[in-house]
Amino acid sequence: MAKKKKRPADAPARSTAKPQLSQRDRKTLQDLRQLADSVVQAAERRRDPHIDVPARSLSNVRYNKVRRYIEMGSAKNRRQLFNLSQARVYMQTMLVASGCKQLIDQGKTNSIRGLFYQLKHTIEGTQEETFDTQEECDPVIEDLEVTLNALREELHVFATNRGNLVGELVLVDSGDEIDCSRMGSAGYSIPSIVEPEVIQFRKCDAKFILHVEKDTVWRRFNEDKFWRKHHCLVTHGGGQPPRGCRRLLYRLHHELGLPVYCLLDNDPWGYYIYSVIKQGSINLAFESTRMAIPDAKYLGLRSIDFERCGLSNSVKIALNENDIKRARQIAQYPWFAHKKEWQKEIEQLLKNRFKMEVESLISKEISYVTEEYVPARLREKDWLD
Amino acid sequence: MRNTKGAHAATVAAAGRTAPSAQVHGAQAGTENGRPAMAPAGEAHGGSGAAQNGQAEPRRRRATAESMAASQRDISVSEFFAKNRHLLGFDNPRKALLTTVKEAVDNSLDACEEAGILPEIWVHIEQTGPQRYKVGVQDNGPGILKTQIPNIFGKLLYGSKFHRLRMSRGQQGIGISAAGMYGLLTTGKPVKIISKVSPRKPAHYYEIQIDTKKNRPEILNGNGDGVDIPPGEAGRKVIEKHGIEWIELDHGTRVTIELEARYQRGRASVDDYLEQTAIANPHVTLHYIDPEGNEQHYPRSTERLPAEPKEIKPHPYGVELGMLLTMLKDSRAPTLMQFLTQSFSRVSPAVARKLCDTAGLSARAHPHKIGRHEADKLYHAIQQTRISAPATDCISPIGEELLLAGLHQVVPGDFYAAVTRPPAVYRGNPFVIEAALAYGGTANVHKVTMEQLAEMLAESDARTMRKFLMHTFTGVNSDAAERILERAQLGVRAMPARLNADEVARLHAALQNVNLDEGQTMTVLRYANRVPLLFQPGACAITQTVASMNWRAYGLSQSRGSLPTGPVTVLVHMASVWVPYTSESKEAVAAYPEIQRELRLALQAVGRKLALYLGRRLRVKQEGERRGKFLRYLGEVATAVSSINQVDRDELYQRLVEVAKRKTADADVRLDERGNRVEAPAEFGEHVLIVRQQEPNTPDG
Ligand SMILES: Nc1ncnc2c1ncn2[C@@H]1O[C@H](COP(=O)(O)OP(=O)(O)OP(=O)(O)O)[C@@H](O)[C@H]1O
Ligand SMILES: [Mg+2]
Repeated sequence: MAKKKKRPADAPARSTAKPQLSQRDRKTLQDLRQLADSVVQAAERRRDPHIDVPARSLSNVRYNKVRRYIEMGSAKNRRQLFNLSQARVYMQTMLVASGCKQLIDQGKTNSIRGLFYQLKHTIEGTQEETFDTQEECDPVIEDLEVTLNALREELHVFATNRGNLVGELVLVDSGDEIDCSRMGSAGYSIPSIVEPEVIQFRKCDAKFILHVEKDTVWRRFNEDKFWRKHHCLVTHGGGQPPRGCRRLLYRLHHELGLPVYCLLDNDPWGYYIYSVIKQGSINLAFESTRMAIPDAKYLGLRSIDFERCGLSNSVKIALNENDIKRARQIAQYPWFAHKKEWQKEIEQLLKNRFKMEVESLISKEISYVTEEYVPARLREKDWLD
Repeated sequence: MRNTKGAHAATVAAAGRTAPSAQVHGAQAGTENGRPAMAPAGEAHGGSGAAQNGQAEPRRRRATAESMAASQRDISVSEFFAKNRHLLGFDNPRKALLTTVKEAVDNSLDACEEAGILPEIWVHIEQTGPQRYKVGVQDNGPGILKTQIPNIFGKLLYGSKFHRLRMSRGQQGIGISAAGMYGLLTTGKPVKIISKVSPRKPAHYYEIQIDTKKNRPEILNGNGDGVDIPPGEAGRKVIEKHGIEWIELDHGTRVTIELEARYQRGRASVDDYLEQTAIANPHVTLHYIDPEGNEQHYPRSTERLPAEPKEIKPHPYGVELGMLLTMLKDSRAPTLMQFLTQSFSRVSPAVARKLCDTAGLSARAHPHKIGRHEADKLYHAIQQTRISAPATDCISPIGEELLLAGLHQVVPGDFYAAVTRPPAVYRGNPFVIEAALAYGGTANVHKVTMEQLAEMLAESDARTMRKFLMHTFTGVNSDAAERILERAQLGVRAMPARLNADEVARLHAALQNVNLDEGQTMTVLRYANRVPLLFQPGACAITQTVASMNWRAYGLSQSRGSLPTGPVTVLVHMASVWVPYTSESKEAVAAYPEIQRELRLALQAVGRKLALYLGRRLRVKQEGERRGKFLRYLGEVATAVSSINQVDRDELYQRLVEVAKRKTADADVRLDERGNRVEAPAEFGEHVLIVRQQEPNTPDG
């Protein structure tokens, strides 16, 4: 980014009238203050300040067999100010903390991209930027979340929204009533914060949720009014579903008791999306409790579908080396390792040596997926768990 | 050289035709024309160019023993050296000028020291023609007796130093007369000498030329007897009348030689030689007027004369068979036993008896009666017998302290180390090796040539360009490296060894525009008995040993078998009763294993000290950069924290800065020393001089 921004010496609060703080905001502010106080205390004792950041890596997650989702372990990484390789990221963590504190004070929220721009400036007396790219900023936000054990929305930060919903559901979003069965061709856009303060469910006639991977497939289902015929909701998350989407699925599943069926591509990436929806992600394992849907089912696409559905050769996409590696890795995940059906599925994929997208069903016959494939799977209860 | 001689070639040919070529020419001339040998040689072959030099001509007839006998005769040393003057260091006009100055100055220093006088030397070079210079060298030495002057300056192989074993600059008895002969051959002008031994006695003034055929002096002035200059006012008039150049002194000698020469500054110039002489001879005061009239003065930095070297007798191990035979023949001792104990050092009666027994010779035999066969047995007996090493107190090294001071005075740098090895022995000759090293501050990055840069890049084992620049060039910190790379449009993480020609060119251009110190090839200053050696570095044991060592172990970069790179100067001095030169021009030291070993040990000793220093400097630099990095972020952290909990931002910042300083305390040690000369820290050992520290790069926050 060529743009450089000088931070004013004392960042003034933009509005003088302090907004009302919620209970939750007060708690978050207290946590932030504790973090800041620890720096002052260390400096007073002439010690080097540090932050203990829970490790967000595969080695620090474990699969809880009873709860059936991924939990974060207790391993922490110490981040020190006076450590050459950590000084910069330490400084960045403090910047993010101060940025969040500002947002809470002002009663505003900001996107992660917005926060990046809010905090980016040239360090005084140098030519160094506080953050070079958003990619440098995003993980620091996640670090702060796990360190304070606060949710992103509690920090007044949200990711750009992605994902749509359509179906027999009426909800209230920020006070506006929305009927999700009357949303035209684009559907209801799932916001990044879907907590009960923002979204309340009013009326639901749907019996289940069909979650598909991407927009194209979702449009097919919407256009064919699949949800009306089968009394369901159809959602997509634009690939790996963002937190808002996952959180909404979670609430619909747990609060309204709707089963979740996933229709994803037949490749390691599709398997992984299912794994994240079902067990939680490795990176954000601390949020599994409020995101994971252990009962979610994998409807397709299956490795056997090329034969079973009589697809043409043109739908085959050759597996590359990375795909093969990823597939083997996923087969080893503790939550797949003991499932014979899953092992068979992945084995078949490797044997096929090609992957397929859900769109290949559409290429067979435009409404094959909505009129035959999915109804048949549901009817036969033919899915992977 | 012939080509550059021009008009003087005739003079050379007339005076200096050597015996070997005269033989060949004479023989041919004799058989073809039936005339006596010498005269027609020139006519018969004059102007026929290269073809004349003994190349087979189809119609040529063979020489007979008789015709050859006609031209077989003695070759005078003068004739030989006139023809082979390159052996004496007169191979081109530029070198001739230096050699002349050097021979005169070396003699002056030898004479002063031998007489216990603190030397003061005047060197005056004047241009007298397009290719002609007049060299005058005067000293405040003991002077030379009237009777000796002609032989010293007009006869080759005449001197006081050859027949003894004592550390001195001259040793062959050729030096000054050869310079005089060269002057005569190229300009036809005689050598002028004025010498005075005491304030009350007259000075003597001679104009001498060497008769090369006979190797004998010819006195041109005062009807073949020179001119006496009385002391006092009367003398001054004589000096004026004869146009004699002389700075009035109580005693001393001045030599003036006019010669064909070329004056050029730079490497291996007269200026260079005098400067290097000053480094190794801090007890000497030098005054120098160069051909452009610039005056330069090197005042002495110590009033202490070097310890007087003692003369020793040869050690048996150093004597070859031929030498042994000569010594036996010349001996006045009545018995072999006495010959052995009197002529050699370290031969006690017991050792002498053992030698006689081993050789199967009678201890009472007369030395003159020992024939070649017996001498051979004696020689082998010497090699088989354990004889203790010669006394080594006969060597007078410069000493670590004066080496440091001398080097520091002339070579700018940050770090100096010196070591004087204990005496050792090669072929029975005691010697001492000394080494001193200066590091830093000698050159600039923009001097590096494209080829050098490409070479250094290829040799580098640095993984990134940033590292390469920081480790290769002094004064390049990471900021500077980044600036250079930005200008060169190269990535910080590019691999040094992988740059293409275009990228190297860009980097080279960027370096030229950055004003920083640079790493160039190590400078090696070689000395033998305090005389700088300026030529034939490749043939010299000193350079060879420096290049054969692994300097990477001491923190310098170096490609295999060549001199290391970096802002380093190494001074190496060999002091010995007999320096084994590779030739009569005394330009390079021969590579005896014992000498090489001592050279290596001395260089390793200073190398280790350098490694310590460089290691520490790198640490300081890194600490400084570390601190800079911390300080850079502290302001941001303090601002962020105070915006969260409203503590006083500046107070917190100050506290954090204190912690940062404590965390990088190492950098501080250095900061205090900046700018001041400091005592060598104990870990370096003795004889180390640290002048200034690199300033760690710390932006104040
Ligand atoms: N300036 C001088 N003052 C006093 N004595 C001198 C001076 N110059 C020369 N001599 C004497 O003249 C001798 C001959 O000098 P010369 O330079 O020819 O030979 P050298 O110094 O003995 O050996 P080298 O050939 O190695 O120089 C010297 O040995 C010395 O005794
Ligand atoms: Mg001499």
